[in-house]
Amino acid sequence: MVPPQLTSQDITKLIARVALKDRAAFDLLYRATSAKLFGVCLLVLSDRTDAEEALQEVFVKIWTKADRFVVSELSPISWLVAIARNHAIDRLRARGQRTATIDEASEVADARPGPEAQAIADGERNRLGACLEELDAERAAAVRGAYLNGDSYAELAEQFSVPLNTMRTWLRRSLMKLKECLER
Amino acid sequence: MTAGENRAPDAGGDDHVAAEYVLGVLPVEERRALTRRIASDPDFARLVEAWEARLSPLNDGYDQVMPATSVKQALDARLFGRAASVTPKSGLLQSLAFWRGLAAAALAAFLIAVAIPVLKPANTAPDTRLIASLASDKSDIRYLAAYDARTSEIGLSHIAGDRMAGHDFELWIIRGNDPPVSLGIIPIGASAHLAVTPAHRDLISSGALFAISLEPHGGSPTGQPTGPVVASGDLRAM
Repeated sequence: MVPPQLTSQDITKLIARVALKDRAAFDLLYRATSAKLFGVCLLVLSDRTDAEEALQEVFVKIWTKADRFVVSELSPISWLVAIARNHAIDRLRARGQRTATIDEASEVADARPGPEAQAIADGERNRLGACLEELDAERAAAVRGAYLNGDSYAELAEQFSVPLNTMRTWLRRSLMKLKECLER
Repeated sequence: MTAGENRAPDAGGDDHVAAEYVLGVLPVEERRALTRRIASDPDFARLVEAWEARLSPLNDGYDQVMPATSVKQALDARLFGRAASVTPKSGLLQSLAFWRGLAAAALAAFLIAVAIPVLKPANTAPDTRLIASLASDKSDIRYLAAYDARTSEIGLSHIAGDRMAGHDFELWIIRGNDPPVSLGIIPIGASAHLAVTPAHRDLISSGALFAISLEPHGGSPTGQPTGPVVASGDLRAM
């Protein structure tokens, strides 16, 4: 089943109606966006049961906090993804470390975009992709990995075999370079 | 080496922390502390939102994966209780009918009867966040307005209806029998913001009325509404 494709404006209207506790709008919003938000939870948490629980909690937040969207500058889908990402990452951190077994990891492997496809999508569609390409390849990969998978400083330091403080410096500088590039 | 790398380590400290929070790399205690800070510090919340916007193109890297049907059922049970399962097709709140019938009085009754009991206790003081549904029987203009006292900002979501060419929508606050006070021209767009001046902050409270009038381009020339009121609604604490 493919989720219905709604425009950004449609989603804005649905969120506004959810702020007024319109359940029909909430159902439509769920149908339109739950697959994307589940993709976020699944990639970050690497565990289907955990991701399903997280997705429920994300939609409870959306139901109770929808009025806040009205004062947000974010696009509606970015606002929803931010709620899902933050929640999934908080859950991941609270859990300590990933508990994915090899089976579960291979089950969710499909959800991980191939690096090539991802780079093309990013590079062609937005300026952020172009700015990421101005960074060292390793640092750009660390930024992407942190953002998409919810990797912690400790995990990234291990993955790239550098001390934790070095990783922190890398990422902070990379983020500020991205900001500079985007503001150019 | 770039200019950024020459700066003292703490230059732009909050911006660094906001960026790290959005990137997601921080340990659990720091993330919890920052979540609380976002709720209480509007300036920091703005830095975080700016980073969310900057990095949001990376969201394309998340695939869509359909969750099991049981997830929505469990969610509904959690939010609305098992007995309260309403099918969208026959629901009282079916979209268009809901909006057509949404007079200010009906909204008030609806909020009291339905919405308030399911809301979690607000963790902010009363009246720091107010919401109004702006509509009228005489037009198809619909806006949702939310006022956040912490940021002194009104957010407006444009739901339906367009302004006539060469005209502007102007937002007014009306308290009791006092004359309307202009809060400004509503910028065009699906979502718009109006900053509230300190002099007007006290006027915006629960029970007051937001109203939108149709005015000549640039707004009312007299300081009072000159065109028809196309939508209005009571302010309610969320």
